[in-house]
Amino acid sequence: MSARLKWTGLAAIVLVFAGLAVRALDGPPPPRFVAPRAAAQPASAKPLYGAQLLPNSSTQSVHSATAAELKDGKLRAFWYGGTREGAADVAIYTSVYSPKEQTWSPERPVMTRELAQRSLRRHVRKLGNPVAGRDRGGRLCLFFVSVSVGGWAGSAINLMVSEDEGETWGPPRRMIASPFFNISTLVKGVPLPLADGTIALPAYHEFLGKFGELLRVDADGRVIGKTRLSWGKSSLQPVIVPRSETDAVAFMRYAGDRPARILMVRTGDAGAHWSEPVKTALPNPDAAVGGVLLAGGPLLLAFNNAEENREDLSLALSADFGASWRLARSLEGESLLPRAPVNEYSYPWIMQDRAGDVHVLYTWGRSRIKHAVFNRAWLEGGR
Amino acid sequence: MTNFAGLLGCGLLCLAVGATVLRLHALPVRFRCVFVAATLVAVLVPVGDLSIAAYVRGATGDPSAATLALAVSAVFARLTGRAVFERREASALLGLVAGAALFLYPFALGWTAFDPYALGYGSIAFTAALLLVTLAAWRMGYVLVVLVVLAGALACLGGVYESRNLWDYLIDPLAAAYALGVLLAAGGRKLVSQRRERAPVV
Repeated sequence: MSARLKWTGLAAIVLVFAGLAVRALDGPPPPRFVAPRAAAQPASAKPLYGAQLLPNSSTQSVHSATAAELKDGKLRAFWYGGTREGAADVAIYTSVYSPKEQTWSPERPVMTRELAQRSLRRHVRKLGNPVAGRDRGGRLCLFFVSVSVGGWAGSAINLMVSEDEGETWGPPRRMIASPFFNISTLVKGVPLPLADGTIALPAYHEFLGKFGELLRVDADGRVIGKTRLSWGKSSLQPVIVPRSETDAVAFMRYAGDRPARILMVRTGDAGAHWSEPVKTALPNPDAAVGGVLLAGGPLLLAFNNAEENREDLSLALSADFGASWRLARSLEGESLLPRAPVNEYSYPWIMQDRAGDVHVLYTWGRSRIKHAVFNRAWLEGGR
Repeated sequence: MTNFAGLLGCGLLCLAVGATVLRLHALPVRFRCVFVAATLVAVLVPVGDLSIAAYVRGATGDPSAATLALAVSAVFARLTGRAVFERREASALLGLVAGAALFLYPFALGWTAFDPYALGYGSIAFTAALLLVTLAAWRMGYVLVVLVVLAGALACLGGVYESRNLWDYLIDPLAAAYALGVLLAAGGRKLVSQRRERAPVV
């Protein structure tokens, strides 16, 4: 190599690494959660409870409901449905709930396998979990899982954004969150807007290990950072509940040895670091949980109240941010309730609307999505 | 832009595999050029919704600078019958890729709480470590290593792919598997020859 070429090479190294150094120093600020809003409902309100099945009758199998409150106070839900879980005809559907009329609009698909692979410019074999949220600009975001090769362990996450509350959607973009063929990253928990405009997206891995992570996503839907909530082979599907700009608790599905309990981790720096996972007192039959901090009040968890099966779906309250729990209500599993053909009630998605009512969407017998709506008075009057 | 770059990279990967499998260097020069052009058209032009490169991309993701360097080297060698880089250069790259893969993948897949993949989003420590490795390669005259690092870093700074993580631009499991395979095979051959030398002559 000539001397001139050699020194040109050194100059190139210096320039490129100066660029990398600027990139590293110019990274996003430390994360800060957006603090939860204040109380919205008087404690003296009359007990309210209602439940109905969504009009999702066009597909034999449905699963993994998610929802976001719209600007007009309605609720837009999403779920995936097809002939069976993992089938090529599985699409992501949506429907809108009007609290005033207490009805759901007819379902319609928002993303199909064919549309996903055309937009993403790569082969897509099947679609999976959707998760809805909002960015700091107020746009509706829909994260969804797709698989190109293999089973759910081969999953990757995609993001599409709507500027008109979910009526139309921009093309999806692939999110890169793993160095190993970008496989094995899935979503289930609520995305959280951060103070700087980025989004904290709970995610989990299922290839070789099972563990939870928190992805930091920029306004363009690109992953710009991540932290690990757990590691190993037994924790997945984290649901993160913040109570201030810095403090949050996360609950995870447990896939390890008995006793089977919901796992919990905490952060005091908005997700930059997490405590070691501990088992709560609540059982977990290797099933997803849903959680929300009620406005001005306790922590509410929706979970399967058994170690072996998903035949009971219950609600528990914690007044001390997860340290202790009180069983509040049972949504499914009590003998008086009509049973689904497949006796399984799972994947709860829980949220509180601006009026203070709590909504739970969950898979009912693998064939329907069920919606339960109630208020604090009903919840606390149970037991 | 990201789709174009990713599909082009996967197309190049297909071309390298095809040229290697078909032993292109054994054919007349005219056929070699026709093969390259025909293969690129065949893998990049969509049939229906997707091209062959898009199917490959679905399985492998976007190829890293290390994989692209190996692919370009393979295509060039099959086309011209000559190697682009000296053997020691390729060995240095493969050694570094194998070492990086052993550091990255087990931890990134959840072995412990430590996640080296997270460093790739913009860690000063990772940048400094990579700079030291690159300067050492430059000092020892390993041009291929320097080129791969610089190409990967520039592509990352320019946002050529969907990823914002520097690791994805430097190495991927394809390059890692190839590097580990070559090094293991070389180690195995060395072991066998040592045993033969030690064996008593009858």
